[in-house]
Amino acid sequence: MIETLKLPSLWQTIQHALGLDQTIFTAVQQAPEGLWLAGIIVCLAGLSEALGQSIVLLINRVRFKRFVLALMIATISHFVGYLLWTTTVWLVGGYLFERTQPWLAIASVVGLAYAPQLLAFFTLTPFIGNPFSILLSLWSLLAIVVALRAGLGLETWQAIVTSGLGWLLIQTWKRTVGRPVYALGRWLQRRAAGVPLEFTSHDVSRLRRRPYWLENLESWKSQRPLIDRHQLVARLSQSGLLLVEQILPETNRAPSQGSLEAHLPKRKP
Amino acid sequence: MADIFTFFSIVLGGLLVWAALSPFETLGWWAGWFGDQMYQDNLPSDGLVRAVRPNADRYILFLSGVGRVSGETFSRREQGFLQRLAQALPQAVIIDDIFPYSVNNLSLTGQPFFARLWRWALRCKLDGPALAGYLINVRNIWQVLVSVDRRYGPIYNQAMAEVLLHSLLRYHYDPASNAPVYLIGYSGAGQMAVGAVTYLREWIRGPIYVISLGGIFGSDPGVLAANRIYHLYGDRDKAHKLSAIAPGRWSIFPTSEWNRARRQGLIRFIKMGPMGHTGVGGYLDNKTQLPDGTIYLDKTVQVVADIVMQPMAVA
Repeated sequence: MIETLKLPSLWQTIQHALGLDQTIFTAVQQAPEGLWLAGIIVCLAGLSEALGQSIVLLINRVRFKRFVLALMIATISHFVGYLLWTTTVWLVGGYLFERTQPWLAIASVVGLAYAPQLLAFFTLTPFIGNPFSILLSLWSLLAIVVALRAGLGLETWQAIVTSGLGWLLIQTWKRTVGRPVYALGRWLQRRAAGVPLEFTSHDVSRLRRRPYWLENLESWKSQRPLIDRHQLVARLSQSGLLLVEQILPETNRAPSQGSLEAHLPKRKP
Repeated sequence: MADIFTFFSIVLGGLLVWAALSPFETLGWWAGWFGDQMYQDNLPSDGLVRAVRPNADRYILFLSGVGRVSGETFSRREQGFLQRLAQALPQAVIIDDIFPYSVNNLSLTGQPFFARLWRWALRCKLDGPALAGYLINVRNIWQVLVSVDRRYGPIYNQAMAEVLLHSLLRYHYDPASNAPVYLIGYSGAGQMAVGAVTYLREWIRGPIYVISLGGIFGSDPGVLAANRIYHLYGDRDKAHKLSAIAPGRWSIFPTSEWNRARRQGLIRFIKMGPMGHTGVGGYLDNKTQLPDGTIYLDKTVQVVADIVMQPMAVA
């Protein structure tokens, strides 16, 4: 149990929030540093989520510096989303269930509910990342319900309705008056990436590349190192140091290379 | 007690962070962060393995298990196996200087930032303490999982196909010919072999066969792209059963690539008797004998040579 008005360290607060401890959500509302702490958690969660979704940037071949910039933009965009989410919860809680909490108190509790998203980075983990992302979504959902129950003093069903309606409001806003804002966000993301973000993670199986060394096969061949005894002997014999026939066993003679480039098939699209 | 718990929590956390970071090697390569260079170890031929043969009409690419740090094997059993195979197959070119856990064949000991760490791990693997040496295995296992994952696999496997094509061209393979290519995937490299087939198929005209030597692999599209997959397994090999963690290998998903390939008869299972996965009693052991007196290594060489020499039933 957490004493009200006194929050533990950031790490412990996160641990309690991940464990869906209701008292930490009450404490974060009342403690003076609660809002800051929630803000830090939202920013870190945003960065973690941006990293978790960074595969899209990479498959579109974004340069490293641009990649870092795009991550920062995504984190800021995440923070804006949090402000919006807080506002919708504040509106629904206030008008539907008559919970007249100050906006800042709601912001603290909603921010702390972002704690499970701190782990969004682990969705990158190969093989187990996808199932983990499903678990994380459920975890986040539970966290927001527990947070609203504690923060607004709601029943469980009321907390579910509040979060559901809040989500609905955001979707409506996105598709109506909020459209230009989202368009601006997408434009910023594209500008930051520096390349057109034309591929999504669903396109990954149809992506192909033709390697540089294969495009310049003749040059590659001329630089090809000595790979077997035959080549070594052949080169030495060219320089007059050795006679091939004296040294090279029949079984080690290299085959003709004449047709290699001519017959190299062009890659199927 | 609390200290031990904290220690294990830190180790576990470190492993999870390491695993989550592991796809960046593949994705960063795709994004061009690490250049477009293809690396090679330039190992000299021993006269049998890595030798260009004039009348070669088939090519064998050996992909080693997760214990490797580069294209060079330090395993005497592997060296012995490949030399014996080369003797049994005079028409085949056997290529083993491939590091299948890197997108551009760059050895761990040649990495720009972590080379010292991997050299230290390699020393530990060879001279002890063995536990530190297992860092290499863990790192390579993450790459196997990258290859299995549907988000990263198509990129990693494409890179692996490039590495294999590069190796074939280094040994004078003619992609326009119909010379068959055999990919031997030992242990975790089973996935690397199967994964690369889909993309290698787009580069070469000849048939591609996969010989899985106790191989661990998921239900990859490569199982349908290969002309045939031969899965060699011993009764005492528990590691090859790890393939079962991939949901596509379960019979409850009849439309998975694996189950479709099985129904199409593309997968042959070859029982190797009471052999284990590795080491003494493993597929490449040259001392332990089967009940009929055949040495394990002899049996494995014979089975692989028979596969390579049999007429191409599936074109």
